[in-house]
Amino acid sequence: MKSRPVYAPFKLDLSGRAHLIVTNQAEPPEGIEDSLGEIEIWTVRPGSLGVPAPAAAHIRAFRATAELLPQLSHRLMRETTGLRFYTIGSEAFIWDAYNIAVQAGLGTGEISLHRAGPLVRRVYCTHCRTLTEDVAQNILPCPACGATLFVRDHFSRRLAAFMGVKVDAEVPGEIPAPEVFVS
Amino acid sequence: MMLLLTNIETLTPALKKFTFTAPDAAPLPHAGAGVHVVVEIPGPSRKWKNAYSLVSSPESTASYQIIVRRVEKSRGGSAWLHDHAKQGDLLEVGMPQNLFAPPRRAPRHLLLSAGIGLTPFLSYMHVPGLAFELHHCCKVEDAGAFRALLPQAGNITLHTSRATLDLHALLSRQKLDTHISICGPEAFMDFVLATAAQLGWPAAKIHKESFGGATGGKPFVAHLRRSNLTLNVGEEESLLDAMEAAGLNPPCLCRGGACGECKVALLEGVADHHDHFLSPAERAANNAIMICVSRAQTPELVLDF
Amino acid sequence: MDLNIKPAETYRGDYTFRNSGDAILRFPFPFPDDNYMYSVNIEPHVRGGETVAFQATFDLDEHYVGDMADRAITLADDPLRCQVLPHMAEAEWDTLELLMESLAHDYPQHFSLTKTGDEWHWVNRPLNIDQHFTFGKAETLPYGPFEYITRQVQGDFSLQDQRENMLYMDGGMVTSQADWSLNFDVGMSFTEWHGPVPLAHEMGVFDRALQYLLRLQLGKPVRRLNWTLTANPRLDTSPENYPAWGPEKASITAENVGERLCLRVELQTLTRLPRSNAILFGIRGYLIRLEELARVRKWAVRMHRVIRNLNPQIAEYKGMTRYRQFIIDYLAPFDDGRVLNQGIAAEQSSL
Repeated sequence: MKSRPVYAPFKLDLSGRAHLIVTNQAEPPEGIEDSLGEIEIWTVRPGSLGVPAPAAAHIRAFRATAELLPQLSHRLMRETTGLRFYTIGSEAFIWDAYNIAVQAGLGTGEISLHRAGPLVRRVYCTHCRTLTEDVAQNILPCPACGATLFVRDHFSRRLAAFMGVKVDAEVPGEIPAPEVFVS
Repeated sequence: MMLLLTNIETLTPALKKFTFTAPDAAPLPHAGAGVHVVVEIPGPSRKWKNAYSLVSSPESTASYQIIVRRVEKSRGGSAWLHDHAKQGDLLEVGMPQNLFAPPRRAPRHLLLSAGIGLTPFLSYMHVPGLAFELHHCCKVEDAGAFRALLPQAGNITLHTSRATLDLHALLSRQKLDTHISICGPEAFMDFVLATAAQLGWPAAKIHKESFGGATGGKPFVAHLRRSNLTLNVGEEESLLDAMEAAGLNPPCLCRGGACGECKVALLEGVADHHDHFLSPAERAANNAIMICVSRAQTPELVLDF
Repeated sequence: MDLNIKPAETYRGDYTFRNSGDAILRFPFPFPDDNYMYSVNIEPHVRGGETVAFQATFDLDEHYVGDMADRAITLADDPLRCQVLPHMAEAEWDTLELLMESLAHDYPQHFSLTKTGDEWHWVNRPLNIDQHFTFGKAETLPYGPFEYITRQVQGDFSLQDQRENMLYMDGGMVTSQADWSLNFDVGMSFTEWHGPVPLAHEMGVFDRALQYLLRLQLGKPVRRLNWTLTANPRLDTSPENYPAWGPEKASITAENVGERLCLRVELQTLTRLPRSNAILFGIRGYLIRLEELARVRKWAVRMHRVIRNLNPQIAEYKGMTRYRQFIIDYLAPFDDGRVLNQGIAAEQSSL
């Protein structure tokens, strides 16, 4: 599929001066020595019951992605060039984080994205424009307009979503068997 | 386009500004900031084609202006312009080409130049609302002339010695949304690139205009297999120059080794790469050469042309 | 150049769209050979050549008023069919200047442009437009400059920003597309937006095309032809409205294929813009009913062979599975096995 990049395994880019890792997983990736002073890690810890996590030297644990993402642009505004930005997690989350990073001025060679967690997709209904999260298979009813959508293998970074198009537009009811996403 | 040379202004003994208009005073094609034109210079025994940045405002369609530095060890084109060109001459000037526009999505621009490398940035000064910081390095005897070319207002610093340009500090304090544009001699650009890399700047935020510099070198022989020609490439001409002098018309665009247009397949011999286009892997594979700037390590090359 | 503009016909509902004899003969037929495969079929966009459609810089024809009326309907229903990302403001003005100057030059009896410094006066007689405005000041126009002018030129347009050795589709006016979504694709790179096309990537077609386009020069535009098939002469075959036009595909039969099935050709032009250094990609669409096309013998025979021999993956990607055999059967009687010349010219001057 040409519209979506190949995700490489996580690895620190040592040409950077400082590193910020942002993940919607509960734990940071393995193999990071946080004794390396210039690495900062943001995670999302479920089960907080609303209680903020205590401040720690290089790790911040947020209560939800909705708390994490708005803070990101604020954090990047104070940065100077030389930062390497890594985002790890579900596909929709990492591209949402990517878009914030690009708005802040980061670009090629400074951002790397890594997929982790269940193989689910955000789907954009091309007809009514509704976005549906956490879709696990390639045929689904749009929760807003009801059209049965086929999820095309065409990905928009801007929307962080795959394109869903009505599967039985030509002959209503002619719907193929759904397939679970394997990538 | 055949253009009329309407004015020559001496800025310093080595720098002259040339103004061109259409012979019938018709408007010239619009050009964005950062464009260059290729001027065909009629020497006594051969023509040269040299690329020069337009220093005039992108909105001025009445005339184009370039600044030419008289290079002692050049292939001769700049010397001819300085010594022989006169008001009223007609010269063939190519359509403007843009390989060095200010990056459109970058809110901030750090412009670094040395010597004649200032010229593309002079057109940047006319871009309304461009947020920039310019640092220009030049010889102390040229500082007055360069200052006169620059606008009064703006974040502009001239450095007449390397000591006053603290590149490390300058690059370290740039915000994330800054892009660097560099133009100047090879050594200056290499110095900036090395400092930037040390500080973790990604290549995608660094933009450079290469002017080719002195591309002379050891003479060599080039066999053009499909044209059935053998050329002697002299020490003061490029392979491209030699092919054009022989009446051929190989595709080319920037004449500075950056754009990729003049790439020719190399069949035999070892190239001496001076370009900015081929990747390290492509250079090592030794099966292509950028004819506008690169030369030969072996006495002969065989090209698929 | 003469236009002989017709009163507006419809491209939806009752589909009154028809091509006159002249329009049929000047149609940009896309098949130079009996077999079709993807290629980097780019050539310099110089005036003239094998079809009259190559004569003007931006070709207009008898359907001008009808096409623009259809665009206006689509935009009223869905304004997001025209979007330009903020950093492309300069490219918008480049586009306005290029299209106005080209139309005024090529069709002086229909369009005129007079300039006093930055004060411009544009007249579009077929659409009854008389507009004074200041070049560079968007507030002096009723729409953004890109939308303003593309509402007056046939065909879709996209604006490509060139950066980092790549092209990005950072703007567009897309109301007559063959099944792609501007709202979904805006901001994508060349490689990403061509993602869905089968085979061509593996063949290296897009890599070569991209390298070529990155070095596109000012004053040297290029063009190529692309094609697909449409049930009924419908311009708005967008994915957004697929639920509306999709059923029409299923209604094609052996009996109506001649009247309803259309060959849809895109004359694509690529032009380097002066101030922004962006590329304006013009996608000028033409529709012709199969029965109209068949009045040119060479085209009937050639199209029979192309569709019959077409690679199944391409046939599927172009959405013709339901009616491919109907087309072959309709055109087969015209094909007596004659040897055809290479090239797209009609080779007849009357029908």
